[in-house]
Formats: sequence, C-alpha cells, structure tokens
Amino acid sequence: MIKQNKQQKNASLRIPLSMPFLPLAVDFAGKGARGFAYTDKESHSLELAVEELFSFYVQKVAADSAVELEVEDQGYRLALSISFQMANPDMRAFNLVWQVNPDSEESLELLGPMIAARSVSSLRLDFGNDDRITLRMTRNRDYPTTQVAALPPPNTQGPVRLVEPSSSDLRHFSAMVSASGAPFIPGFLASPGMAADMLAAGHLNAILALRGDWIIGGVLWRPLTDSCLELYGPYLFNDDPDDVVLTLLLDEAVGRISRSRFRGLVRRQGQLQGYERFFDLLGELDLTGISGAATRSTYYYRQLREEGGGVVYCSGALATFLADQYNRLCLPRQLRENGGEQLRLRDASVLAVELEYPRSLAIIRPLCAGKDMAANLAAHLDLLQNDGINNFMVEINTGRSEDIAFTDALEATGFVPRLLIPDAGLGDLVIYEHRVRKQQS
Amino acid sequence: MNLDLLIPEYVRNFEAYTPSRPDHLLQEEYGVSHLHRLNNNENTLGPPAAAVRVIADFSPDLAVVYPSGDSYDLREALSRRFDICRDRFLVTNGSCEAITSIIKAFCQQGDNIITADKTFAVYEWVAEFSGVEARLVPLRDYAYDPQGLLDRIDARTKIIFICNPNNPTGSYWTKQVLIDFLEKVGENRLVVVDEAYCEYVEDPEFPDAMELMERFPNVVSFRTFSKMYALAGLRAGYLTGTRDVVDVVRRTSVTYSVNVQAQMAAKAALSDDREHIAATRTMVKQARLFLCKVCTDLGLETVGGEGNYLMIKVPINDLLMYRRLMKRGMMVRSMTGFRFPGWIRVTLREMAVMESFAEALTEEIREIRNVRV
Repeated sequence: MIKQNKQQKNASLRIPLSMPFLPLAVDFAGKGARGFAYTDKESHSLELAVEELFSFYVQKVAADSAVELEVEDQGYRLALSISFQMANPDMRAFNLVWQVNPDSEESLELLGPMIAARSVSSLRLDFGNDDRITLRMTRNRDYPTTQVAALPPPNTQGPVRLVEPSSSDLRHFSAMVSASGAPFIPGFLASPGMAADMLAAGHLNAILALRGDWIIGGVLWRPLTDSCLELYGPYLFNDDPDDVVLTLLLDEAVGRISRSRFRGLVRRQGQLQGYERFFDLLGELDLTGISGAATRSTYYYRQLREEGGGVVYCSGALATFLADQYNRLCLPRQLRENGGEQLRLRDASVLAVELEYPRSLAIIRPLCAGKDMAANLAAHLDLLQNDGINNFMVEINTGRSEDIAFTDALEATGFVPRLLIPDAGLGDLVIYEHRVRKQQS
Repeated sequence: MNLDLLIPEYVRNFEAYTPSRPDHLLQEEYGVSHLHRLNNNENTLGPPAAAVRVIADFSPDLAVVYPSGDSYDLREALSRRFDICRDRFLVTNGSCEAITSIIKAFCQQGDNIITADKTFAVYEWVAEFSGVEARLVPLRDYAYDPQGLLDRIDARTKIIFICNPNNPTGSYWTKQVLIDFLEKVGENRLVVVDEAYCEYVEDPEFPDAMELMERFPNVVSFRTFSKMYALAGLRAGYLTGTRDVVDVVRRTSVTYSVNVQAQMAAKAALSDDREHIAATRTMVKQARLFLCKVCTDLGLETVGGEGNYLMIKVPINDLLMYRRLMKRGMMVRSMTGFRFPGWIRVTLREMAVMESFAEALTEEIREIRNVRV
C-alpha cells in the first residue's frame, strides 16, 4: 500500500537559458518557495542553488536553448527541477570535476554545482531521453528536532491492535522514538513535524501498535528506489517477549506492501535479532560522519514477489562478487562474461554525484562510460575529499551496460563491491565502497 | 505520445500480476534438471479418462471452426448434471473471466465489493483495475469473518465474494453459517460463492451454493474445471445464478472466449468424474496426512482444511525459502503475495513427489537451523 496524495502543488517557468534570464530564474525559485510558505532562509537556499547551477550550465549550452524550472511543494520539502536539452552535448561538462583544479581554492569557488549542493538537502543530475538534462534538488523545511513525549509504562496490559496513524499520531510517535533513545533514527523521524508532513504528503507509510491508549511501537516505510522500499524499525517501547509485537508489525507491513509495484524491501539500520524470519542478510557498511563518529549499517532485504531470474553480463572482480552473492542468496541469475567493450567507448565518461553533507556521504552513479573512467573517478575522489566528504559509494546497476563498463575503473581506483541489493535498480544494485578512503578516514 | 493522458487513474496505479516464467527457463536459472510444480494447486492425476480421450482424439479440423459461442453443449451437460436450466449457466474462460464479467456487469466507479484480505487475489485485482473499491476484511482464525464482512456493507456495496473453501487457508463456512450470513446480507447485493475447490470437500455440512439459489436469488456460484478436473491448461469455468443475474453477466462476457477443445473436454470430464474424484480425494488425503506429520516432526506450524493444498510456516522469509526449494527442483507458492509473509503453500500431490518434497524441506530446515546454531 503506497498512498499517493493528489494535493501537491507546483509552478513552472520556461525561459531562455541565457545570462540575462538569470535574475528571473532566481526570482522564480525564491518567490515560488515563499509562495508555498517556505521561510526566507529556506527560500534563499533555493535561490542560491539556482543561481549557481544556472550560471554554471549556461556556459555549456547553445545560444538558443530553453530551460524549464519547476517547483513542487511536497509539504515537508520543496522539490525544484531545472531541465534543458542539449544537442550533441560535451558530456565532460556534466562532471563535477570539469575544468577544476582540486588544488586550487579559487577554482573550487567557481564550482557551481558544489556550492548548490551545499545549500540544499539533496541534488542529483539525471540524463533523460533526447539529450535532456535534469537537475533535481530538494530543500527540506527546517523543523525543530526535539519534542517531549512520555513513553508507555512497562506494565501496559491488554490486547495489541495495529492502526494506520494520522499525522498527529505520527508526530507523537516520532517524539516517542527520540525519547526512547533508539540507536538508529533517520533524520525525518528525529524531526516529528517532518515525519508527520511526509505522511500527509504520501511519501511515508506507517503502522503503529497500540495497547490500550498507549502507542507501544511502530514501523515505517518509504520508497528507496523506483523498485525498492526502505523499512524503518520496528521501534518498540516495551519489552516484547517472543517478539510478538515485532512480528505483528513486520507481518502487517509486509502484507500491506506485498501487492504494490515494489519488488523488494530493504532495512539498513542496526542489527535485528531473529532477522532471518523476515529478511535475507545482505551485509554491513560503515559510515564516518562529519564529527568522525562511525556508524555501522546492517543491510537486510526481502523480496516482495517471486523471483523472475535474469542475465548479467560482467567480468573480473564484479563477476566473482556477484557469483558469490547470487549463490548465497539463491538468486537465479546467469552470469555471462561480457568480454570488455573498451574499443567502443566514447572519450569522456560522466558521473552523477548525490551529496549528503549531513552524513558526509557522496553517492556516485555512472551516467556514461568513457575511456577516461578511472581518471574521472579519481578526480571526483580528490575533489570530494578536499571538500570534506568522508564516505564514497558507487552504485552500479547490473542491468545497465554503461554501469558495468565501469567495473575495471572502480577496481583500479580502490573501490570494492560490498553489497548487492537485488532488484533495486535496473537489475540488481551493487554498492561499491572506497577501501582506501575508508582506511584513511 | 503521453499515455498518462489516456490511462484512467485506477489503471495507472494498478500493478499487473507477473506470472512465473516457463519451466524450461526456471530450470536453467535455478540449475535443476527437473521441476515439481507444487505452486498452482493443479491436480496431477490428470483429467478424468473420458476427457483424456477427447483431448487425445481432438481433430485439427475442429480447430478451424469457431467454438460454440455460448458453450451450448457444455451448458446442456451442466443442466443435466445439476438439474438447473441451461440458461442459468454461463461458461467462462476459467473463473477469472467470471470474476471480471460480474464486476463489469454490476459495478461502476464509486461502488464497492467486499471480500477477505487473505484470499484469492483476483477479486481485489479486478475491482481495482475497474475503478471499484475492494473492501478487505481480515480473516478470523484463518477463516472468512461473517460479521466483519457485514460490518463493511454500505449502500454502494454490490458484490460480496466468499471463497469457500478459502484459498489459501482451506477453511470453509458450513451450510448454516452461509445461510445465516445470507439472511443478514439481504437481497440488495450479490453474494458470489467461489466454489473452485468444492469437489475436494467431503463434509456433509459443506454448503452447495447452487441449492441455496432457490431461497436466496442473490447467490451466484463460481466453479471451475481447472482444479479437480485437471483441465487448467484449457481454461474453462462456469458461473451459475438466477436467469436474471446470468442474463446481465452475459452482457459483459466475451463470446467465443472458451475454445472448442476446452468445451469438449469439460463436457466429457463431467460425464466421467465419479472415480476420478474419489481417486483424487484419496491422493490428497494421503498427501495431507503425510505432509502434516513431516511438518509436525520438523516443528513447523501448518494451516489447512479442505482443498488440495497446505500452508506451512517456515523459519525464514518465504521468498528465500521459495528460492532455496527451487534450487532443489521444488516450486511452491510463497505467501507474501497472499499477505501471509513467512508462509508457503504446497500443492498436495502423489506420494512420490510429496516424499521428494519432504526430503527437500527437511534438508533445508536442518540446514537453516544448523546455520543458526
């Protein structure tokens, strides 16, 4: 069950992509945000991002290009996209590192996308059909992070019932999760107002367990990719002998999403005792935060429908990794040697980078393969590390040949495959982690 | 072309069912030389002997000509068998066509149908992709909850679907429970009793929905030749109701949807089913006793009543268990899609296959428990 809320609001603007229109684009972002009741601070973040991105890309397109800007109020955040078309684009220009000398502070200051990424909550670059480039960014509302909530007494009695929460229920539940001191609390749950607004927007789903009038636990989920959901919890506020409430919550959540379009469910928090009744174990990843503190995420997964099988073309370290994972998880995939297609590669590769500064995390996604893949990856690592990023991951879709072409370059630059998330992208998603950088951090 | 402008919202949001891939591909992908199907509740004894002969003797000349558009001869045979006028039968391309036709015939946007949350999914699917609300009532003790269904009825409720016995739990309403329910429902909405597995039930208290139609004209019965009669590959089922109800459903049914061979085989199957039904019941009973004992010995909970299937609670997630068993050549049904995460459903078949399955299950369970230790 994935709810879609139709009350979302948007506004759009189509203008020439040229410098004289920069003020209009910036005004559109700022006034659009204020029109949807975002604060001056929140609106200004978007103005800054649009200014940087518009200025950066305007130099790279033909003179008669048009750009479309769209802002969409999703309740808890404003989503802004900048979309334009480029005939025969010089793909190198879409790399963060293009014409940047990472050793030059002056050069870094000129790096529009980096500055833009710092001012918003997320930023990513997508290539669509017909050479269409879309820059997607979001700016979350600023929410207070703490709210006091009492936890249920340890001796609550009576039958447990499960309910779909209202926004107010979820606001209260979020505050209870914070009060409980749970070790893994996602950002949206640490801000009770944000979780409530996400629920209202249909971007989050939840089931709460009640005993009498007390909320004694709950579980939440939301899309991670187009084909995969992420589950949070269950969070339990009382002792739960024999995992009765935990089982009720997980079975109910899985039952509700089992007939949705999603093919898989991922949980990537701490360890879950007795996980094997509900999930397959994928592995663990360590992240080093801005403060230097390390957190370990244990990745669990379950399919939501019977396996359809598939063929994966790859070679080298990736083939070895995949063979091991497919065997361990009993996933029916035929691995076929791809034989390498280096000769057909274009000169320049392109990487999209999604930056999450609060987690000091850069998620790198291949967009186009090219002869310079290893150099390009290395340049991104240098640049991002100089910018204070501690964690580097690369996501490879096994169903996308442009992604698979990166495997040798990843190996050469110190990336190692760490996790396989089945069916989470075009095919399976392999997460590479940078070994050397992790060791240094 | 922007397809979104053309597609109704209730179709756009609907997720189509993905059937399993052909056996030869599955065998290749899972690396097995054989695959025992224990997932679709097929009757592996095969069709009754008379139907087997009709299929074997089927002349290619018959494939040239359109079938009887209203399955005339088959309806005649059904009429003689059940002593009900042939115009009160509508033969369909399996029961899925019957479900689709009856929802199209009686429901429009804003209406609702009611059924259980954990039952045959097609009632819910057809309602959803037709823009009709599907109200789902939780099972109580693995069985349809009469009061729960009654509580959800409102002025826009058009059809209540009761799967009796229920797939996948095997629970069923007795005649008295069904009569009590029908009296409370009243006559302003249809009650479809899906009797796909009725031929497996021996309990004299099990109701016959066809008999109840004289007293309750809003009752409609669905039956199929896919289960007991082992003609799943030919797709033939039938709907029985009052003449008025059937006349309406016929308007939304596709003429010629049931092919010549299916009509002929189904008619023959009806004429020669006594020994076939007895033999099948014996096979299922033996398989159920055997598999329940195996599960008890392994400490696995089971749920099953009637029908040729048994649900087993497994100690790992059911989709992983499905894949592990596939690697041993055993294709079961994972129950996440039925909203029973952690359960598998196993078709009860001939003993040789049940013994192979028991061996595979036992090895898997031991392996899982050893890893845990």
